[in-house]
Amino acid sequence: MRDETARPQPLGDALKYLVLLAGAFIMVFPFIWMIIASLMTAGEIQLRPPVWLPAEPQFQNYTELPQKIPIARLYFNSLFTSSLIVFGVLLSSSLAGFAFAKYRFPGREFLFYLILATMMIPFFVTLIPVFFIVRQLGWIDTYQGLVAPGLTSAYGIFLMRQFIITLPDELIDAARIDGASELRIFWRIIVPLVKPALATLGTFAFIGAWNNFLWPLLVLNSRELMTLPLGINSMRSLYADNTNLLMAGAAVAVIPMLIVFIFLQRYFIQGIALTGLKG
Amino acid sequence: MTILGALGVLGGKYPWRPDIPKTALMRRRMLWAYAFAAAPIIALIVFLLGPILFSGWVSLHRWDMLSPVGEMPWRGLSNYSYLLSKDPVFLKSLGNTFTFAIGGVGANTILGLGFALLLNSRIRGRAIWRVLYFMPVITAPLALAVMFSFIFDRNFGVVNNVITGLGLPRQPFLSGPNQALLTLVFIAVYQYIGYYIVIFLAGLQGIPQDYYDAAQVDGAGRIQEFRYITLPLLRPVMLFVVVTNTIGALQVFDLVFATTGGAPANSSMTVVLHMYNTAFKFSRMGRASAMAFILFAIIMLITIAQVRLLRDRAYGD
Repeated sequence: MRDETARPQPLGDALKYLVLLAGAFIMVFPFIWMIIASLMTAGEIQLRPPVWLPAEPQFQNYTELPQKIPIARLYFNSLFTSSLIVFGVLLSSSLAGFAFAKYRFPGREFLFYLILATMMIPFFVTLIPVFFIVRQLGWIDTYQGLVAPGLTSAYGIFLMRQFIITLPDELIDAARIDGASELRIFWRIIVPLVKPALATLGTFAFIGAWNNFLWPLLVLNSRELMTLPLGINSMRSLYADNTNLLMAGAAVAVIPMLIVFIFLQRYFIQGIALTGLKG
Repeated sequence: MTILGALGVLGGKYPWRPDIPKTALMRRRMLWAYAFAAAPIIALIVFLLGPILFSGWVSLHRWDMLSPVGEMPWRGLSNYSYLLSKDPVFLKSLGNTFTFAIGGVGANTILGLGFALLLNSRIRGRAIWRVLYFMPVITAPLALAVMFSFIFDRNFGVVNNVITGLGLPRQPFLSGPNQALLTLVFIAVYQYIGYYIVIFLAGLQGIPQDYYDAAQVDGAGRIQEFRYITLPLLRPVMLFVVVTNTIGALQVFDLVFATTGGAPANSSMTVVLHMYNTAFKFSRMGRASAMAFILFAIIMLITIAQVRLLRDRAYGD
């Protein structure tokens, strides 16, 4: 890190804070405006000349929201399916990563190359066939159709392999001498040692699944199964006439996740540095 | 660097050798390894490798997804030649997607590095700034699309309220043929800038202080330090930022779908949105698959070119 104590520059410092403040204002303003607008009446939003604050905060925009959209259900669906995906990604990535890092078996190099090659396949290339497969399985408009294609991640396998390969072989050999089974070695030795990597991978898998839109849009039809992004999408018809309700819906969908992020921000940011710059 | 590491592995850094176990004990361990890796590998074959091959096959046919797979009429390369010569929307969407990617990647790289430099200097509350800039990164693109449709609304958007308040003419933004794509670039930069700031910041903090001390002893100024120390040592990070951002930007879908839908007059139509419409609105799976392959090929070529151009010759990767 740069140490600039040798060169104090009061004017430069003020300018720095000014730029940072202007940037931060742009970043935060859309969220604040969403909340302010969600407390206005539908008429206030379209007033000319415009008003900047509601004459009286309309909290009923929030209390009446469940009549427009099943908020609790949306949260349950998003949490349930995202958790399944995170669990699947963590389990499959660490198991396969362990196999590739610490075992010798015929075909290992070939299979690893195969996984690396699939890592570079963008989702849109496989979208039509995966949709077709899921439809043939009869999984359209089901949880399993939503979740199944996301349970494994080539990137996750690669990441876990890179982490596990750095663990000393002696740990595993010692456990074997003590009579531990391979499965026990995995659970008791490998998993505890790669917890930071698992936390990072899990965080990214969760955000990806939580915010995913295109796949749920294709697979799900019924209101009972909709996830949060689909819920926001279905509320878009309220735009213009009931923008205040639309903003209330968006706020309910977005703010809790932001609060979780603020509490866990250190881990998020360490994780990005970890996966972005190493491995 | 994960993606580049993968490219390095594909480039033959790791030796190819058969690992045939010799003892019964080793054979039993080998079976465990297969057991551990089997399910994930099968899943990857079913949901990635098989589909990409199938997609390539479909792109050579005419198919509506309802008729049986075995009876798809063969069309050869005509889906490709149609797209490249007779489909004005596809070519338009390709141009739009490039503009979107170039604008977004350029702005994210320059602004991301700029703000990272600011945050890396002697500054109070680094963690708080980082959190504020990072908030949009974890927000659903669909929610941001809804928020910005409102903010940039022609009639009652807050930006137009300010502009007209200053006595300037009202702007169409997302509903203007000349402004829609530019507005989308702004929203995309807004969304991801925090991510790239964090990446650049981590890169900057990895540069040893000794280099700057030595440069100061030699009487180097700030600009010289940036030009001859920071920038060269940041090259791998720069490569990561440019490559991942380009790959992501060329696939943009959610944001466009939920703001303009490609309108007005396809001025903000992007390739993946056009592909989605072709496949799931008009049931032309062959043509949509051909589109996907053309974009895929473009992404691969651009990635390879970027890695070649930006790879640090002096320090390896």
